[in-house]
Amino acid sequence: MNTSLNSTDLAALSPLFILLAGGLIVLLMESFAELWARRYSFGITIATFILAIFAVIKAPVSQNPLLTMWLNYDSFYQFFTLFFLLIGIASAFLSAAFFKKNEATHGEYYFLLISAVTGLILIAAAADFLTLFLGIETLSISLYILCGYMKRWQLARESAIKYFLLGSLGAAFLLYGIALIYGGVGSTSFSTLLNSYHALQSSQDKMLFLSGIAFVTVGLAFKAAIVPFHVWAPDVYDAAPTPVTAFMSVGTKIGAFVAFARVFLIALPQFDPLWNEGISLLAYPTLIYANFVALRQTHLRRFFAYSGISHAGFLLIPLAVGSASVLPAFIFYLVVYACATFGAFAVLAFVDKGSEGVRLHDLKGLFYRSPWLAGILTLCLLTLAGFPPTAGFLAKFYIFKAAFQAQYYGLVIVGLLTTVLAAYYYLRIVSAMFAEESEEEGVVARSYYAAVIGACAVAAILVLSIYPTPLMEYLASWS
Amino acid sequence: MPTLLFLFLAPLISALLLLILPFSGRPLKILALLLSLIPLGTLLIHHTDILGAQINYPWLPQLSIHFHLSVDNLSLVFLYLTAILIPISILAASSEHVSYPNVFYGLILLLEAFLIGFFTAADLALFTIFWESMLLPLYFIISLWGGEHRRAAALKFLVYMLAGSALMVAAVLFLYATANTFDIQTLIQHAASSPYAPWLAAIFVLAFAVKTPLFPFHAWLPDAYCQASTTGTILLAGLLSKAGIYGILRIGLELFPQYIQAWSPLLLGLAIAGVFYGALAAWMENDFKRLIAYSSFSHVNFILAGLFVWSQESHSGAIVQAFNHGITITALFLAAGWLATRIGSTSFKRGSGIAQYMPQLCWLTLFFVLSSVALPGTNNFIGELFILFGLFGKNPWLAGVLGLSIIFSVVYMLRWMQKMYFEEPHLIEAHGSDIGLKELLIAAPLVALILLVGIYPDSILKYSEPASEFIAHANGESA
Repeated sequence: MNTSLNSTDLAALSPLFILLAGGLIVLLMESFAELWARRYSFGITIATFILAIFAVIKAPVSQNPLLTMWLNYDSFYQFFTLFFLLIGIASAFLSAAFFKKNEATHGEYYFLLISAVTGLILIAAAADFLTLFLGIETLSISLYILCGYMKRWQLARESAIKYFLLGSLGAAFLLYGIALIYGGVGSTSFSTLLNSYHALQSSQDKMLFLSGIAFVTVGLAFKAAIVPFHVWAPDVYDAAPTPVTAFMSVGTKIGAFVAFARVFLIALPQFDPLWNEGISLLAYPTLIYANFVALRQTHLRRFFAYSGISHAGFLLIPLAVGSASVLPAFIFYLVVYACATFGAFAVLAFVDKGSEGVRLHDLKGLFYRSPWLAGILTLCLLTLAGFPPTAGFLAKFYIFKAAFQAQYYGLVIVGLLTTVLAAYYYLRIVSAMFAEESEEEGVVARSYYAAVIGACAVAAILVLSIYPTPLMEYLASWS
Repeated sequence: MPTLLFLFLAPLISALLLLILPFSGRPLKILALLLSLIPLGTLLIHHTDILGAQINYPWLPQLSIHFHLSVDNLSLVFLYLTAILIPISILAASSEHVSYPNVFYGLILLLEAFLIGFFTAADLALFTIFWESMLLPLYFIISLWGGEHRRAAALKFLVYMLAGSALMVAAVLFLYATANTFDIQTLIQHAASSPYAPWLAAIFVLAFAVKTPLFPFHAWLPDAYCQASTTGTILLAGLLSKAGIYGILRIGLELFPQYIQAWSPLLLGLAIAGVFYGALAAWMENDFKRLIAYSSFSHVNFILAGLFVWSQESHSGAIVQAFNHGITITALFLAAGWLATRIGSTSFKRGSGIAQYMPQLCWLTLFFVLSSVALPGTNNFIGELFILFGLFGKNPWLAGVLGLSIIFSVVYMLRWMQKMYFEEPHLIEAHGSDIGLKELLIAAPLVALILLVGIYPDSILKYSEPASEFIAHANGESA
């Protein structure tokens, strides 16, 4: 076997190298030249991400078995790598807006952000359970630190520890599941998984494999915050700095679902109806519970935790369907969700109050203070609520149609009924923005960083609402 | 550009222009008015030439949704109603009372675009998208520019509407499964073959019944009508209720005739109960805006009664009456709005004998009231006569009972006129004087239409009759 890497292989790996280099530069700069770090780490981070985007687009596909054993170079990888890099850029912008208001060191922060994005990319590229685990852990460990990044905030440490403990529990489940799967089929590679499962003869091996799958599912459900594995999410989201909350509600959520898609939609499509049954049993409580609890939230970061859980419920619907044909609907939903959530957080960055975050009554009268901000937030919330004619409706419709064709009528009906609740709690926020009586004269800070993200999110939502066909076609063309 | 596409895009683009352009005050209102007249002008120029016009673009091929609009006789009646009422609702707004006029006029034109799309949609998914979309501009119009409790009323309105049509998407998907298309014309032949057809019919009827509203689904109505500004009330009463009626005609009677026919006793019973409930509630009111709101509710249920009677005459009458009700209720709310701004309240107690102070407003209101109580020679007489005629052919007793409701409407309407305009002259406070030329000019088209339809009913019957024939024809084939 060829054990050396040629230049093509290195070029294929270049996005990861660029992220590594960028991350190291930022970290070293923080250690040796703090003043520089303060000034330039944001710029270096953005440059790193942009360079990586170019690298992903230009990079050749490596055929070297040394790499393909661990990493996939398919369109799924390419799409999600770009997507995650864009998420990284958006998070960096929101973080810059945050650091304008809150005093803290910058270098480690951006290093951790870059590492988290690297973890996400590894998840998307994973061709083996070990790469997947590596990606998830790189992501999680960076996030444990990021959650407690504001060391002086009262709840930050508590929530970081909570996240760390429950997260390691999730990781343990995942790793144990991988071990069991390996015990069952003798390999951790995705490419042979389906065939070796079908080739399994003894019921003992089958049992091993299936319990391994169950553990992996639980581990990923922890990361995706699916009821009943969601308990960490509200507290952690609430106590983390707002840009980290934004990154978690988009990046982590999507990362966990990409892992689900990698394993269960691409590697093991409909391997056993039992699994699909199980996922649909998770979807019901997730949809119902999250939507009911979200009705009563007044802290926006906590609110977005529940809103994120309810969207996870929606994303479980295509997983329950479980065939590769739902992938376009699934990814389209992720894209719309990411745009709308980032747009909403961009607006929250303007009214954010550090450790307190944003409460519902901080938004009171926002329309009269700043009609543009209120307009952006309204559009994003309506998209999250799935209101036509926004892209949110199309995304939900796409998922419902896929679920419908697979005859998951119950999920469609519960999903539709919960959208009524969702409409109520998203519109409650909208309604607050249009209230005249603002209790305190909330000053809206100026922040060009957040404004850029808000404008991009709005543009993306508008394009996706009016003519999403190119994206849908592209997604359908390779999945 | 095809005329139909222009008809849809003109208000949409106008709405965006109004949001962006830096006009304000009077020039803005004039600009909004001119832009809102474009659809009416287009309709008048093409008039019957537009019948049969179609546009069909594959908008979202992955979702099998086509941007398919088409115009038939039924659509044309409702298109005219929309095109006439939107400019009047713009004129009804007093520019000094509207904060953020750009947003206000933009939303009205956005609503116009959605309504035009809705009344011409030939694709069931598109129909659903427009059906839900039109709620948004209305929600904001009520929520931002209305009475003291407007935000609660707007939220209640929206949640009711969404709850009513929550399952519509599921029903649409079930219908899709019968023929693998969303095309309404194709579905006419296949709708009955769905195993769940009665459930689907019930879901659609519920959605339309909440929006119109049919008794007893009207709990949102008093608050929404009364808290909205005059413009908002005109849009709600004149146009939104017509969307429900159009839905029953387009989907209920064309797709599910056998079920509407089978449920006719129940639905007719509810509608007649609604007629009397509305009339009695109006009779008890001491607030003239609420009185007109209940009278609108009563009359709308009269129209629904016409739809649920299984005869071609009453269907034709209901279509005519839908148009007439739109015109008359707009006129009444307009006149009531002028009175309210002049006496500073909508309560009966704020004045009497106003005819003394404002003779022109009094005579104008009296004319509209007489049209509302179906005086021969006015528009409502024609429509109600047709409905009663159709009902008489089926059940003379019921026709007699329903006929009584016209007497009721005379009683409550004239009670209002009597108490406020006649009796002892006495005013608590007065802002401004009698209506002038401007108001008379705004009212003139309404007066003209009331008389035109009343004296020369053929002007509208020539569209409503082919439409009802088409329904009868469609039923003949599918029954």
